[in-house]
Amino acid sequence: MRFKGNTIGYLFILPAVAVMATLVGYPIVYNIILSFQDVTLMNLGSGAKSFIGLDHYKQIFSDELFMKALWQTVYYSVASIILQFVIGFALALFFSLNFKLASYLRGLMMVTWLVPLTVAALLFQFMLSPSVGVLNYLPMELGILSEPIAWLSDTNYALWGLILTNVWIGIPFNMLLIATGINSLLKEVFESAQIDGANWFQRFVKITLPMLRPVLLIVLMLGMIYTFKVFDLVFVMTNGGPANSTEVLSTLSYRYSFDHFNFGLGASVANVLFLILLVIAFFYIKMTRDDEVIE
Amino acid sequence: MIRKSIKHNGWLLNIIGLIIVIIYLSPIYWMIITSFKSQSEIFQAVPTLIPKDFQFNSYIDQFGSGLGQMTLNSFIIAISSMIIVIIVSIPAAYALARFRVKGAKLILLFFLITQMMPTTVSLAPLFILFKNLGILNTYIAPILATSTGGIAFSILLLRPYFLSAPKALEEAALLDGCNRFTAFIRVMIPVVMPGILVCAAISFLFAWGDLISSLTFIRDQELWPLTAGIYNAIGRYGTEYNYLMAFGTIAVIPVIILFVALQKYLVKGLAAGSVK
Repeated sequence: MRFKGNTIGYLFILPAVAVMATLVGYPIVYNIILSFQDVTLMNLGSGAKSFIGLDHYKQIFSDELFMKALWQTVYYSVASIILQFVIGFALALFFSLNFKLASYLRGLMMVTWLVPLTVAALLFQFMLSPSVGVLNYLPMELGILSEPIAWLSDTNYALWGLILTNVWIGIPFNMLLIATGINSLLKEVFESAQIDGANWFQRFVKITLPMLRPVLLIVLMLGMIYTFKVFDLVFVMTNGGPANSTEVLSTLSYRYSFDHFNFGLGASVANVLFLILLVIAFFYIKMTRDDEVIE
Repeated sequence: MIRKSIKHNGWLLNIIGLIIVIIYLSPIYWMIITSFKSQSEIFQAVPTLIPKDFQFNSYIDQFGSGLGQMTLNSFIIAISSMIIVIIVSIPAAYALARFRVKGAKLILLFFLITQMMPTTVSLAPLFILFKNLGILNTYIAPILATSTGGIAFSILLLRPYFLSAPKALEEAALLDGCNRFTAFIRVMIPVVMPGILVCAAISFLFAWGDLISSLTFIRDQELWPLTAGIYNAIGRYGTEYNYLMAFGTIAVIPVIILFVALQKYLVKGLAAGSVK
């Protein structure tokens, strides 16, 4: 039954739309305008801001630091996602086996996904410490490392210190979504393949992978979107350092806006980041078109 | 054959599974246990899995220096944000499921994209907006800023709950003399309660975990939540890890409580909410 009088419908939606238009819609538009203006702390309150067209965009694309941050964002995201995805996939397969504690244990792992990023950052900063960190102590005891690595203060390793932390946070997300996909696979297909004498590996390549393809692509794209906009982890653990070796687009944008108070330049970096995410989101939405939400 | 052997080796799989989870969750154990150690025990050559003597100093010392206030601030911000999310999202999700609304697709698309938007896009505009509204340096700024993520998530999560709720229930309520509004409150809300619980928990946790809104919009340290306190403490305490881990432990306790209480709903809801 669809109600004929739609006034109540509009009234019910109004608060949500009003809040979101003010706190999300308006900032998106304002940020685009900001990026074309020369806005500093001085003229922030007054109306006297000069339009400078595409100058900020020209500036950032010829800026070495921006290109470095862009590259590091890509590197961080791709490395994180490969690791999270492979480990998450393996765990999803393992926990899809038929044993008593499987779903309980799998659920338990989700707790790390809800831990505040600031806390995860703090915790890994401790565990990665060259003097007292267990992630140096254990590999050394096992003979994998001969001397401690200054994970977060060595320019060669700092980005990997962040990747490691992000992988820990992201595994349950990948695992849960892939597990949901596996559960919806037809059990009969598996069983008939077993009768046909296909071994574990053949079943995986010929049946599991192709059938899971849509789910796997969605997980990869969502993971990409959430990883690419990383902010809190980097901000707390290294704040882009040492020597900009962990600078990513979001921290660079924040630095321009709130350390240098060059709001226009910060806005242009944020917009480039947003645009990249929108491109990924476009493919994501195209893929999930059958989904009822965007029917 | 294979089925049988798996069943037969069930105990082995259970043990492997248990070991995986223990290793995976060990950092959280490590954080909690470190908060009860003395500074010298943390720095000794061989780390201890269980503190040799349990100390509560890292908690006691810090409660004097603002930890209590920060915990309170975190609760004020997270609960207020959660209330806004719930009040705004439930009717909207219901309307988007049950009424013909022009532009519904566009609205849903907008919410979907909101979830993907990097925080840095909105920080500077909101800073200017809040400055003009005179709410910089109040709880209201981070409360509003953190509610948007929860609203988008909740509407996208709750709409399918309403779609799958039997329409006969509403019809019966209308025949019984309810109007559309009372039918919504008395009949529909109880039906989708599991979804509402997930939304409430998630929007609480969104706001609870937020760092950058408070750090950007609040200058007065008296109003800072735990996350901002942690950020500040990292610089202040340096390597006094027992203090820092105590901070982290307190910030994580509500997460664990919520998770344990709502685990069944949360895991299902998170899967649904992130795909949609």
